[in-house]
Amino acid sequence: MIWLVAMPRSLLLFFFVRLCTESNPTRTTIFERGVTSLEHAYDAVVIGAGNGGLTAAATMAKAGKSVLLLEQHNLPGGFATSFVRGRFEFEPSLHELCDVGSPENPGEVRRLLQDTLGIQAEFLPVPEAYRLITTAEGKENLNVVMPFGVKEFVDQMEAYVPGSRKSMERFLSLCESIMAALAYIGASGGKADAKVLMKEHANFLKCGGYSVSRILSALHMPKKAQRILCAYWCYVGVSTKELNFALFAAMLYKYLTKGAWIPRMRSHELSTALEMRVRELGGEIWYNTKAEQILTENGRVTGVKTSRGEIKTAHVLACCSPNAVFGDMMEFSDIPQQQTRMVNARRIGARGFVVYLGLNRTADELGLKDYSYFIYESMDTVKEAARADGFNNHPMQATVCLNRANPDCSPPGTCIMSFTTLYNKDVWGSVPAADYVSKKREVAEHMIRDFERQVGVSLTPYIEEIEIATPVTMARYTLNPEGAMYAYSCGGWDTMLPRLMMLKEDQIVPGIRFAGGYGPRIYGYSSTYLNGELTAKLTLADMKEAGE
Amino acid sequence: MNDFNFHVKPIGLMDMLYFKKMVPARQKALSCGSAEPFSAERGANKLAALLHPKEQRLTIAEVIRHGADAKTFVLTGEPLAPFRAGQYLSFRLTIGSSVLTRPYSISSSPKWASEGKYAVTIKRQMDGFASPWILDHWKAGDAVTASGPEGTFCYEPLRDTKRVIGLAGGCGITPFLSMAYAIRDGIEDFELTLLYGSRKECDILYHGELAKIAKETSKVKVVNILSDEQKEGYEYGFITAERIRAACGGEVCSVFLCGPAAMYAFVDKELEKLGLERKYIRHELYPAPASPAKIPGYPGIANGTLTLSVRLYAETKNVPMRADETVLTALERAGITVPSRCRGGECGFCRTRVISGEVFLPEALDHRRMADLAAGYIHPCCSYPLGNLSIEVWPE
Ligand SMILES: Cc1cc2nc3c(=O)[nH]c(=O)nc-3n(C[C@H](O)[C@H](O)[C@H](O)COP(=O)(O)OP(=O)(O)OC[C@H]3O[C@@H](n4cnc5c(N)ncnc54)[C@H](O)[C@@H]3O)c2cc1C
Ligand code: FES
Repeated sequence: MIWLVAMPRSLLLFFFVRLCTESNPTRTTIFERGVTSLEHAYDAVVIGAGNGGLTAAATMAKAGKSVLLLEQHNLPGGFATSFVRGRFEFEPSLHELCDVGSPENPGEVRRLLQDTLGIQAEFLPVPEAYRLITTAEGKENLNVVMPFGVKEFVDQMEAYVPGSRKSMERFLSLCESIMAALAYIGASGGKADAKVLMKEHANFLKCGGYSVSRILSALHMPKKAQRILCAYWCYVGVSTKELNFALFAAMLYKYLTKGAWIPRMRSHELSTALEMRVRELGGEIWYNTKAEQILTENGRVTGVKTSRGEIKTAHVLACCSPNAVFGDMMEFSDIPQQQTRMVNARRIGARGFVVYLGLNRTADELGLKDYSYFIYESMDTVKEAARADGFNNHPMQATVCLNRANPDCSPPGTCIMSFTTLYNKDVWGSVPAADYVSKKREVAEHMIRDFERQVGVSLTPYIEEIEIATPVTMARYTLNPEGAMYAYSCGGWDTMLPRLMMLKEDQIVPGIRFAGGYGPRIYGYSSTYLNGELTAKLTLADMKEAGE
Repeated sequence: MNDFNFHVKPIGLMDMLYFKKMVPARQKALSCGSAEPFSAERGANKLAALLHPKEQRLTIAEVIRHGADAKTFVLTGEPLAPFRAGQYLSFRLTIGSSVLTRPYSISSSPKWASEGKYAVTIKRQMDGFASPWILDHWKAGDAVTASGPEGTFCYEPLRDTKRVIGLAGGCGITPFLSMAYAIRDGIEDFELTLLYGSRKECDILYHGELAKIAKETSKVKVVNILSDEQKEGYEYGFITAERIRAACGGEVCSVFLCGPAAMYAFVDKELEKLGLERKYIRHELYPAPASPAKIPGYPGIANGTLTLSVRLYAETKNVPMRADETVLTALERAGITVPSRCRGGECGFCRTRVISGEVFLPEALDHRRMADLAAGYIHPCCSYPLGNLSIEVWPE
């Protein structure tokens, strides 16, 4: 459901020398080589047409490389897709795409998709940041609406929490420091000067290693303001005690300064636009084709075995999990032990559960005023995250009324809603098959009723279409381990900054890089687009180094 | 830069050291993982594979005749995917040089699936291609290949009323039979009143079985309506607004329809008289008509043979395509195994890219995603060519 994050694209240069972006077209497809059809050869094979895979394939193709994109499903997008029930077309996963910005004030994602890759898509702005409701805090229960815009956000916070302004301003100053430091690092072309960092970006270095909770306390932010500020924590799925401050601050700051956007025709619009662009740029896409095995010789990638035969390539850009690549597509004996330990050390990220409703009344008629609702028991995010370890009366919900940002997304007289919650453990995997449908319905009903009660609306009598997606559904369509929506958790030690600082050492098997949510910039829509580009650029650099 | 002198620890330098520790901390944690083998197929993935198998290999255990023109096939396999009453299986068939699919609703109780059994009941369509072949060829002991359970023609308590009126015509009784069993077996909890239209008494499928279920549970009621025969104990005529209203008994009820296209055309008009909101009316999908000639709005001539150019995994093949058949049928006649399940435009499995050329896609069957429509994707199961066509498909 998320849609962060927030580091300048140029940050990939953090620890890397400047990379080539365009190289001479050197096509090595079967046609030029005149070999038989079973012996396809490509400069690079991308596994998985999720956001990361699509962006990686487009970036490789744009650089003139021959690229084959393999997708086991019959359409592009992975999570970024859509589905039709009756007269409704639902958005499966996207709530708010971060870092798009308006055409006049574009963010990294708009620049990447529209300027760099040249795709056509129509983005619509999300009206407000969020409504936040807490339900089990007695007198402390929150029911607040926060706007986008830095000034608007601070003013609104002051209205809710008189006396919060100073700490909010300091918080925003830290956000600016983080953005400036990242911009400097990016612009330095991999030669960031430690002295400059310490002198000019001291606050970034001082806050960047800590958790959100730690920094907000150090800022002496009033408790209530902290609680309101942290509403987006579930977009990352880890408690504010585990969540890295730089990551969270950059996300929130991007949302406040650039707003949030959604594509008009659901995420499938973006995925289709990217898919078409890959083809226009000369890339080849094979749907219904599963990568079965990654072939190696002397520890180097030599090809990919698929249901249609073997493909020769020296470079695999995987928009799928390392668990699948190293656990199921390679022989255990071919994998360096360090790589095995790395995969086993990482924590599977949150798994999603989503209820989709097509309602036969308008949002106005139903009294749905807002686009995005966060409903938590409390803003004790540690407790709240712990609830997500099991069914526990179902965890938090992040709920969207799509028509509030996209009024024409459903036929006149109707509206679309989606209710999302997270699970931190594989609880759905152990539901007996015979109980699966009733368990789904039980959780869905609980979420709908809870929403009705907390927001004071009636929805159930107006349900015309309902669909429920669980981690099992997501496992079916994406093949992610345990149906994870948030790839590997970015809590604690595995957050984005050290991932980016360890780009080089994280790559153990030469020729394999991870382009999707399992990539260095972590999960979420904006992150995975940027991961895709980053992975492609790193691969292009590998190719250049190898003289390919 | 409006930096203020920020620090967490007493001295800012200690904070910077903390920053520097992020990499060593991650290095250490990564090196502490276990050295055991692993797989991405775990937990939820295993349940997903059980619930949604790509294909199921089944054995025909028993064949039950219903008069001259319908048979029930009891199919066994281990393990079988559980299903919801109302779902269908898509069977993969090879007939001569054609490879094709046909969807058939599961007519047995969901309880059976856990015991390794499904049943489907197939009626001979006189001018049909696959159903006569199935009835003439499938015999006990044969192996057949089906998809996992598909489809959304199911009771949903969060959406539907507690009392459902099922309107069935001919072989359209099959999903309702499964629902009736599910109610009797305590798997589903709703009341089902069936208005079942047949020509004559002898055409009523599962006559005795339905009567028996209605005796076993008060939640299932069956009203047989005969159109071509007046007989005691049966209503005579059609499924009319009055009959539906009577079945509702003054309440607002969800109405489910399953039957031939001609029945939908008639009953939809009757339903209009009841003024029900759309959410209360649910149609089982139906296969696209074999020929487009009679579909309102069809601009073609439904005559002659065209050329279909098919791009398959970076190779291109030309095959003949009849102007009066769907694009999917042309592919199947050519022995190209493109994915398909529902054959009625809904499931999206047959999603295909048009490279050039035009097709007619009847509005009533057009369930494409908006972006697909804009990008020129089609569902070939309900697309009729308007000239030579060039497409890209990805056979499974
Ligand atoms: C969800 C669903 C559930 C259903 N459940 C049931 C059920 O429970 N019981 C039941 O009896 N029916 C059921 N049906 C209907 C069933 O799927 C078939 O439509 C029906 O059996 C008729 O199939 P047919 O091949 O005999 O006729 P048609 O499909 O009408 O046969 C003619 C078609 O075959 C094509 N064709 C002709 N020659 C060839 C050739 N050489 N190669 C390839 N194609 C050719 C023609 O172009 C034409 O499209 C269901 C349908 C749906 C959508
Ligand atoms: S087969 Fe279902 S949409 Fe074509």
